[in-house]
Amino acid sequence: MDRRTALVATGELLAWWTGLALLWLVLISTVDPLECAVGAGVAAVGALAARAARRAVTWR
Amino acid sequence: MNDWNLAATLLLAVGAGAAVWGVSTGPLRRRVVAQNLSTSAVCPSLLLLAQGYDRPSYVDLALLLALLGPVGTLVFARLLSDELTDDPPRARGLTWAAAGLGAVTVVVLCAAVGPSRAMVKLLVIGALLIGGNVVASRALSGGFRGVRGG
Repeated sequence: MDRRTALVATGELLAWWTGLALLWLVLISTVDPLECAVGAGVAAVGALAARAARRAVTWR
Repeated sequence: MNDWNLAATLLLAVGAGAAVWGVSTGPLRRRVVAQNLSTSAVCPSLLLLAQGYDRPSYVDLALLLALLGPVGTLVFARLLSDELTDDPPRARGLTWAAAGLGAVTVVVLCAAVGPSRAMVKLLVIGALLIGGNVVASRALSGGFRGVRGG
């Protein structure tokens, strides 16, 4: 993995994380720091899974 | 009983009743369409009940149904693909009528709750409901048979 692909991968993960964290923020009933921390964590796991799934489908 | 509950009851009685009748009688091509459209009747009525009883947690049921309903239909489309190829169901009008019903319900509820996180959640559910049903309906009528590796 060279510098450019690493940058692209980071950007993709960050985009997935942002989308998933925003979705979490919309779906929870009360916004408090604990919920935000848990949301950030699961959004990170979800971003990894989403990128893996996207790569499995497009084979790149 | 307020107007929201009345609308939800009417929707359940007419929509879900028709769906149960369609699923339990007639040829396979009609049964799968009724099974697919049952989500479009029950999900908006759950949203209306959530508003009527002022219980936001009921909205989560509608979210779950909007997610899982089309997935269930895709399983049927896969398992029954041989039978459906011989006699493909065509329900373009019904599909778009159900999509319109979901859209109208979501828009009215959005107007009722006003701009907030709850409104965004309603819009997410509406998009899932309409998009999922259109995709599932298309899968039933053989629209995705040429999908690469599908």
